[in-house]
Amino acid sequence: MTKRAVITLGLLGALTGIVAAKQGLDRVRQEATYTKGEGAQSRVEWPRDNPPRPLPARPVTFPPYELRKLANGMQVVLVSQNEQPAVSVRMIVRAGAAHDPKGKHGLAMMAATLLDQGAGTRTAEQIAEEIDFIGGVLGTGAGTDLSFINAVVMKDSYEIALRLMADVVMRPTFAPEEIERQRNQALSALKVAADDPESVADRVIDRLIYGFHPYGMPGAGTAESLASLTRADFVDYHRRYFVPNNALMAVVGDIAPAEAMAGLEKYFGPWQAAEVPPLNVTEPPDATRRVVVIDKKGSVQTEIRVGHIAIPRKHNDFEAVDQAVKILGGEGANRLQQVLRSQKQLTYGASADLDTYKWAGAVIAETDTQTSNTAEALRVVVDEFTRLQRERVGDGELEGAQDYMVGHFPLTIEVPDQIATQVLNQLFYELPVEDLPRYRERVLKVTPEEIQRVARWFIRPSQLSIVLVGDADRFVGELKGVGFGSFERVPIERLDLLSADFLKR
Amino acid sequence: MKKFSIFLFALAAAVAAIVYVPLQAAVRPPKLEYQRLVLPNGMVVILHQDKSTPIVHVEMWYHVGSKNEKPGRTGFAHFFEHMMFKGSRNVEPEQHTSIVASVGGQANAYTNEDTTVFWQTIPAQYLPLVLWMEADRMASLRIDEKTFVAEREVVKEERRMRIENPPYGLLNELIIANAFDVHPYKHPVIGSMNDLNAATIDDVRDFYQTYYVPENATLLVVGDFDVDTVTSLVNQYFARVPKAAKPVPRDIPQEPQHTKEKRVTLEQPWPLPAVVVTYHVPYNGHPDSYPMFVMSKTLSDGNTSRIYQKLVYQTGLALTAFGSSSFLEQPGIFSAVALVNPGKSPDEVEKALIAEFESLKTKGITERELQRAKNQFSRDYIVSRLSIKEKASQLGHAEVIQKDMASADGEYDTFMKVSLDDVKRVAQKYFVPEGRMVMRIMPRGGVEK
Repeated sequence: MTKRAVITLGLLGALTGIVAAKQGLDRVRQEATYTKGEGAQSRVEWPRDNPPRPLPARPVTFPPYELRKLANGMQVVLVSQNEQPAVSVRMIVRAGAAHDPKGKHGLAMMAATLLDQGAGTRTAEQIAEEIDFIGGVLGTGAGTDLSFINAVVMKDSYEIALRLMADVVMRPTFAPEEIERQRNQALSALKVAADDPESVADRVIDRLIYGFHPYGMPGAGTAESLASLTRADFVDYHRRYFVPNNALMAVVGDIAPAEAMAGLEKYFGPWQAAEVPPLNVTEPPDATRRVVVIDKKGSVQTEIRVGHIAIPRKHNDFEAVDQAVKILGGEGANRLQQVLRSQKQLTYGASADLDTYKWAGAVIAETDTQTSNTAEALRVVVDEFTRLQRERVGDGELEGAQDYMVGHFPLTIEVPDQIATQVLNQLFYELPVEDLPRYRERVLKVTPEEIQRVARWFIRPSQLSIVLVGDADRFVGELKGVGFGSFERVPIERLDLLSADFLKR
Repeated sequence: MKKFSIFLFALAAAVAAIVYVPLQAAVRPPKLEYQRLVLPNGMVVILHQDKSTPIVHVEMWYHVGSKNEKPGRTGFAHFFEHMMFKGSRNVEPEQHTSIVASVGGQANAYTNEDTTVFWQTIPAQYLPLVLWMEADRMASLRIDEKTFVAEREVVKEERRMRIENPPYGLLNELIIANAFDVHPYKHPVIGSMNDLNAATIDDVRDFYQTYYVPENATLLVVGDFDVDTVTSLVNQYFARVPKAAKPVPRDIPQEPQHTKEKRVTLEQPWPLPAVVVTYHVPYNGHPDSYPMFVMSKTLSDGNTSRIYQKLVYQTGLALTAFGSSSFLEQPGIFSAVALVNPGKSPDEVEKALIAEFESLKTKGITERELQRAKNQFSRDYIVSRLSIKEKASQLGHAEVIQKDMASADGEYDTFMKVSLDDVKRVAQKYFVPEGRMVMRIMPRGGVEK
């Protein structure tokens, strides 16, 4: 009965100034004086003091897990840990919004929400009743490259979870009345999202960067595409991609590997393998400078997105590119946060992410600022791309980012679900699982020269895509002054993600 | 003689329960062991060891939240949370988080109605560093005009980002402003722009001297540590922080009994209408709060829940609909919210929401619903004790909000004893029309058909 926290400081992903911090820690002060510090509000004469030294460290190793495979090709990850009497079962299917056929945007996501709305011999209500009653959770959904089906149950309900999941994954009903219900819900949700500046900014920047590549398309669909989806579309999509040789499964928690496998054999062993049609994906377009202003009257803030195409997850330079982006705006470094928040108080939060998917990826910086500061904040963000490309990253700055990554490692293997996620990620992107325990070495081998080499070719400040969602009349006049005199303007109510100029006709 | 028969009856009931309710015996979660120390200056220390990974989580709870704010100074507790990162005697401004990050850790803080909590998760060997920094800012925070004015701009951006810019961002603020007349729970934690502008540096100093004192603080250390080492570090760094000059004020204006239903209609530039129904409920830990929690589950946890079934699944009246009870240190509200789907009427939605509360009063819930709620509680209980951060949060809540460490585990049994009669009785006591607030928020410029 704990009330969730409502406000957080939000410094996660925004841990700035590590270099200075390290110097502060390393500096050994000679004496401990007992004078009152300037401006300090001491209730006592508080001593000048050095930070204490760390205790001896215990070794950190990647926790044990097991890899298995069913005869039908389904890959399995097992992580056994019995601290709490719960079991989490997670499945990934290698099909997501990127697999939506042309004109059928929203198919994968709606198909995923329909999986547990009737399957096998059970109706949607019966499935809900069964999982809710045992105090379990069953969730389904789809992302860009994948769909997922997750269940969490108490350990004595493992079989119930598998039985339900097997139905949901292998035998969804796609009942016409459920399709209508979910279609109506999806349409209402689109309506709300179409008015949400954050969501609009995210969708427009993806379209700008990836163009008409599947990653640029609206995964939640459009009013027209959702209206066009038929039962046959769902059945076809499911038949094509939901096969065991296209699926990964993790069983995690208070269960012995033998029992976990026996359950999987029983419920997923009979699942028939089938050939999966390859997805023919063209290359996304090359980065091109384009500025789109989405006008939403009455906004008090402008949502800012700046980015361009980068690399897919499986790429030889992933480590170096990842660290370059972390320096720009990631955990353990984050120049954007340092300048935009700490120095200029222009925002509550700023960050940059390297989104890496199966076939492509992008670097996207994001922040929000009050309308009158839009131009200034945009200039700062773009300047940081330029600085990253032109200037060599300082040894100390990189060291700081790497210290964070290496030191942070034990925090990423605390609970069994985190362990499983890391293994599943490696399998999903076809990366070697042997890399997991070598995390430290992989991070530390990146040098400032490496960062400079990759930043030179992949950061392209003059070819950035830029999206500004806000009250246009109140800031567009200042864009020219910061070097962005040419832009396209789209009223939010006329936004069309499928049109070349973003305008609904 | 009489006593004896009551005993027999109770025994018979217990046996009956065992015989007739074998539906699903919830898996009993393991006990959360802890040690509790109190320093001479009044600071409480709670330790829980978990050596499964070499990391440790440190949380400092200050028992001050938005309900402690003076009129005209809403948002102050949260604003002060930001000030705690502005440097102290031995830690430079903005360096707290960076120092923690430089060793691979994470640090952050949050403020709610009742508490302000600062936390850090770090590799275990850096425990001394974090304890030292927490003590430093408790004893010697730097408060100067320049950082104060600058940080206020950051908080204003936070308010714009969270509350003012997104559709429905203001919803919670409108609900509490109308549901309460007097109690400071009526004010948003983040406060108003006017009040933030009115805050002065003297307010900051006064707040620090009043609330950021050892007797108002609880330190939680959870994870991989040695008890003797931690005890000695805590004594070294915190025992030297002196007691406050005056007692921590606890005079919070209380909400009077409501005598008449309140109806409010507003407009906002949102895409779909929202309908809200609220009732006043007891504080967290009150015996009635457990049946209230059961009703919260029955109405709104999972796709089987009554509100989802009636308003979303069966009728399509709402895009989304949910209801939950607040579990605060002082009496709060149960609020149910529905976003009205295009073409559906807010009247119908209001009627449907109120009907769910009425039905709890007249018919209660079924045996199966009660068992389901208990199983869901059991699951929440287990999955909210997986990480050291979650464990710290549970322990902190028991100590600071419930003021009873035994509740960290004892609450499980209390909950399992809730009966069908308890649920009906509590529904009848609290879901009364005179305690109800009904609010409609219509899209500015009319509803699209």
